[in-house]
Amino acid sequence: MIFIAAAKTKRKSFFIQTILSNFVKLVLHYYYGITMNSQNQKLALRSGNQMTAEGAIKAGCKFFAGYPITPASGIYKGLIDLLPLNNGIAISSPDEISALAYCVGASMRGVKAMTATSGPGWALMIETVQYALITETPVVISVVQRLGPCTGGATQGAQGDILITEFATSGGYTIPVLYPSTAKECYELTIEAFNWAEKYRTPVVLLSDKEIGMTTESVDYNKLKISAPEHRHLISENDADFSEWKMYGFDSPGMIAKFAPVGSKVKVTATGSAHNTKGSLKKNDPETLAVLKHLEDKIRAHKDEMSLVKEDHEEGADTLIISFGITARTMKDSVANLRKQGCKVSSLTIYCMFPVPEKAILKAAIGCKNIFIAEENFSGQYRMIIAPLLKNYNVYGINKLGTMITPNEITERIMKL
Amino acid sequence: MTHGAVMPFCKGCGHSNILKKLNDALGLLQLDPHDVCLVTDIGCIGLADALFDKVHTVHTTHGRSTGFATGIAVADKVLASGKLKTIVLIGDGGSMIGLLHIVNAALMNVDVTVIVANNFLFGMTGGQTSSLTPEHFNTITSPFGSMNPSLDICQIADASKAGFIARKTATDKDLTETISEAITFNGFAIVEVLELCTEHGTKRNEIKGNMLAKMAEDEGHEIGVIKNSHARPEFSKKYETDVHSHKGDIKPHKYISPQFNHDLRSPNEIIISGSAGERVQSTAAMFTEAALMCGLHVTQKNDNPVTQGSGFSLSEVIISPQEINFTGVSSADYVVVVSENGLKEIQGQDIFNRINEKTIFIIDETLTIEKKGLNLVVLPLRRLCGSDKAAVGAFDYVIRKFEPFPHEPFKQLLAKRFGEYGKIFKEEFYNLF
Repeated sequence: MIFIAAAKTKRKSFFIQTILSNFVKLVLHYYYGITMNSQNQKLALRSGNQMTAEGAIKAGCKFFAGYPITPASGIYKGLIDLLPLNNGIAISSPDEISALAYCVGASMRGVKAMTATSGPGWALMIETVQYALITETPVVISVVQRLGPCTGGATQGAQGDILITEFATSGGYTIPVLYPSTAKECYELTIEAFNWAEKYRTPVVLLSDKEIGMTTESVDYNKLKISAPEHRHLISENDADFSEWKMYGFDSPGMIAKFAPVGSKVKVTATGSAHNTKGSLKKNDPETLAVLKHLEDKIRAHKDEMSLVKEDHEEGADTLIISFGITARTMKDSVANLRKQGCKVSSLTIYCMFPVPEKAILKAAIGCKNIFIAEENFSGQYRMIIAPLLKNYNVYGINKLGTMITPNEITERIMKL
Repeated sequence: MTHGAVMPFCKGCGHSNILKKLNDALGLLQLDPHDVCLVTDIGCIGLADALFDKVHTVHTTHGRSTGFATGIAVADKVLASGKLKTIVLIGDGGSMIGLLHIVNAALMNVDVTVIVANNFLFGMTGGQTSSLTPEHFNTITSPFGSMNPSLDICQIADASKAGFIARKTATDKDLTETISEAITFNGFAIVEVLELCTEHGTKRNEIKGNMLAKMAEDEGHEIGVIKNSHARPEFSKKYETDVHSHKGDIKPHKYISPQFNHDLRSPNEIIISGSAGERVQSTAAMFTEAALMCGLHVTQKNDNPVTQGSGFSLSEVIISPQEINFTGVSSADYVVVVSENGLKEIQGQDIFNRINEKTIFIIDETLTIEKKGLNLVVLPLRRLCGSDKAAVGAFDYVIRKFEPFPHEPFKQLLAKRFGEYGKIFKEEFYNLF
């Protein structure tokens, strides 16, 4: 403590101060886990929404169309400022349907595109999301959740759009859904979302919530884990495989056909109607049905590589807590509290909500008896999804409506068992 | 169009004529097929895709064709070759469900040509009334005649500042020329083509092709090329002058490399509540920035009424030597209240459930808190700092008095924002310590 005081007063000579402050840093770091003033920190105060916008730029996004809605408007504003500086364009649209239609159109022309909205806007976008899905057009939609249903609470957080974002297609196709829990992860997973959209030619939802989107927090840019941006795989008439190429062709469940942008030398035939591999309307045709099935197969085939989770395993734990988004942060604090109290507990943060990281969940559950799923909605939406996987376990929900679940609420619920 | 293509439409349907004229127009203009994109809507007119084997075809959802076309055209003109001609084929039904896409495309003046094939009804679904059905016109859902007058979509386009507007009939001899002009037009163009649905229109109404123009005129709808004006620049030109040329004005993000030390050992949680427009949230942001300059972890959450500029304004701030997980204030170290609005809000929220026995309440001298047993610090913030800087003074006080981190970075930020630190508040304020 003497050293701290000495460092604080700053009255010593420069030389002594340097030695002392370095010693203080060492002591603090060693005993308290506090690292001070690392020279290679590049810090900024950023909201999750701002980091999503910046992540989009890093991912190569060139087009954004937005319609204002709390709590997602920060992404719109972020990209209005950032895109012109990065050889892109951001435009305002007259509604959410237009916003996504503009994005899908831009993507069809060959550029990476994104929009952002919240529950009420997503409701309007559902038709167009399906269009992107069936035409296999890459696009990223950030859904920053707020309290529903309907207009709900514009400035209140929630995790109540898990089911409506995923189950938004007639036919029940898997829309990949990523869910960051910090501003830093907003950046990282936005890049992932764009990469998946390109790799798998699909719409991808980047789910977040009011608390992550609008809370500003310290971000160290030097600690960002940046995936290399995936470029769109384009077909050209000079390609060796051009003669066999079809807009929606595949020869295996996991195959994704190269993309032909509108305006290129390769004719595009795109349609939202059920179509064969060439994009022609064919009713009740085996090839058309195979194309419809392939839309799902191509995602399932890549499920394992899309399984993004963070496991915090404790040896001998009989309890596992699963969470995501803002509640995953609460879970972290709660796990630390529980362990301090001698409870053996493991945790699993889900980043890829869909396709469900089944193997990772089952692996994390090994050795446990009780599994708690914590989420800020009253019905336990993700619990409904993963409970069938966990038939051999006692599965409990920790749920809340209207405000964030607190670390104490998780801790108390688990201690009660 | 594919040579010898068989039209999939009923005998006498106007769609066949419109598509032939469109094909003629494309031939006349000698466009490279790769530089043409047909965007089709839902309905019989949407069957056009299969007939065009050279140009790009994008068959969309109902009414949304102009929306998709707008995205294609903007991306092409601003981000790609800029050579693409984007043409929308939409019916009367689609043009109403997707009206705002047409309106906005016209307002933006994107290089999109919209051809509205208007046969006064929804043909594919069995001949139901549309918003473009003329008054008294019989359809399957208006067996005694349509009750409403028909929408004049050309007037809508005019009100939306479209540059090229025409209303023709499918049998007009010069339809090819009009469509060519519309496609050539650099900006938004709309051509409404009146035609007959021989399956549903002519069976229920005494009508022939040569009566269409008169019918429109009876409804008060103008016929012919209504407008052809290049007064407004096409979208990408406007974007270049109005946005792109200003990109140098956009401030780059600033990053902070911590220059100060701190000796904070556990998180500090602060709630500040005041009135909108009195710099509560922006000062909280300065506080968090100062903390960041000391290498601390921070979070800041703001709350205010949806109207934003009125009522209360509140920030919840956490500064911590460790990474912050839960971002809510569950046990505040400081609660700062600088105005009446702010007081009302914290009393309304469950803030007294989020304090502990050590929580320090800093309130302005004009305010009284009924609740007993609080560690109250009453300060003349509004009097000495001004109502617009009471929050600034409060944070300054917290830093100087309780030293969660050095005062210097906050002082620097204040000086940058308000000028010399020693002159921001009344002298008396500096002597509070």
